[in-house]
Amino acid sequence: MTKATTNGPAYNPPAKQLTSCGDVSCELLVDPIPRPTPEAITVSLRPKVAKVTFVDHHKPNSRIIMEYTQSVLRKRGIEVEGEIFIKADASTRMPAAMLQSLSQERGLILCGISD
Amino acid sequence: MGVSCSKHSIRVDPMTTYATLEDIENCMDNGWTDGLPVIPPYGSLVDAMLEAMGWQGSDSVGEIPDQNIVVRAEKAAATAVMAGCKTEYGPLLRALTEGLLDPKLNLSGVEVTTGGAAVLVIVSGPVVEQLGFEHETNALGANCRANATVGRFAQMMRYFCGRGGGVLQSHGTIGHPGRLSFCIAEHPKTEWGAYHTQYGLPETASAISLMSTEGPNSVNNHYGDTGTHILDTIGDALCHAGQTAWYYRSGGFVVVIPPDHMALVAKDFSREQALEYIYKNARRQTDELAELGRIAKNPIEFAEVAPGELRSPLKSREQLTFIECGSSGGRFSAIIPRWVGSTHAVCKEIKSV
Repeated sequence: MTKATTNGPAYNPPAKQLTSCGDVSCELLVDPIPRPTPEAITVSLRPKVAKVTFVDHHKPNSRIIMEYTQSVLRKRGIEVEGEIFIKADASTRMPAAMLQSLSQERGLILCGISD
Repeated sequence: MGVSCSKHSIRVDPMTTYATLEDIENCMDNGWTDGLPVIPPYGSLVDAMLEAMGWQGSDSVGEIPDQNIVVRAEKAAATAVMAGCKTEYGPLLRALTEGLLDPKLNLSGVEVTTGGAAVLVIVSGPVVEQLGFEHETNALGANCRANATVGRFAQMMRYFCGRGGGVLQSHGTIGHPGRLSFCIAEHPKTEWGAYHTQYGLPETASAISLMSTEGPNSVNNHYGDTGTHILDTIGDALCHAGQTAWYYRSGGFVVVIPPDHMALVAKDFSREQALEYIYKNARRQTDELAELGRIAKNPIEFAEVAPGELRSPLKSREQLTFIECGSSGGRFSAIIPRWVGSTHAVCKEIKSV
């Protein structure tokens, strides 16, 4: 919070919160724009089990790349879910039921590979 | 009602003035604006506005669920300050805020549509005189603080709340000037009863009515001498080939009738009769509309297209409402087409806080 002077602008406030010197006692300006509140999420950096599940989102060559990756992982002794799940369209949200199901997986989920 | 401006001599500390101007510029630079300079939403001003609206800053006053947005009262109060509203408008602004965030109005849709719609605010009842709204001269674009700032508040709420916190973009193809401010006040005394009675509120109530609309079209008839002449002219304006309404017919129209036209119409028609007359007679040949490209080649069931028949731009009678405002001395009326994407108007009584 700085005070304006007759020497010109004295501050460059951030986008989401402005401080004011419009009066002797500087006041906070109230942001009028409501912002989205993201739903609470937790991120696991390390899978609980060494298993990989694939989700094909129908981008070009997605399935071919996934199948190849499955074979490479199997050769290296890493467990791979046999079924490749399918998301109907890359540009739309994953159906809630599918998201709910995948969120229960304890291994790594790989979604949306394409060339 | 006349509205006059008086000049005041105000002594201002130059230091304060420069700093406040700087705050105005900072609001502009950070996107806290509708394009015009705003009153900076200082905390003390927002607190006073919150009190006038009867809310605590953290109160939830509405939601836009698809965008995970909860609108807190503090945001609405800050917007009211920025638009230049007086605190005495508080109870009206409270009802207006609730109306704007009513899911039926589809605020985000109004903001982002290619249709370039604005939120029309109609003020009716005793509050019109109590708060000094202009309802006569230039009633659809009055140079009066109450009309200008309340209308501006509604558009700023649309702009601030309707874009997902800045995630979405507006796509209006051409828009119209009402997207900066669009507030109409009805005459306190009317021939056909208060506007809000068309939405079931009692005659004596004060109310705000909201709907999303395109810009107004003037309807000129200086030489007709019966109510039928005036209603036929209005009906013809509803039926021009370019009306957005023709295909989906999910919007409707507001018909604005000032005193000179009303003197003729009210002699021959009650409000219900005028509505029925227009609904029955304001029609256009469906095949001609299809030929022009105003109806889809393979229309959906909702559009209820009947080849060979005359087509009304209204799907139902309830889509047409009448407001009485404007000054005497000119034989003009107006129609205001509603945007087809928000099928409902929202009418709320203004209650004391």
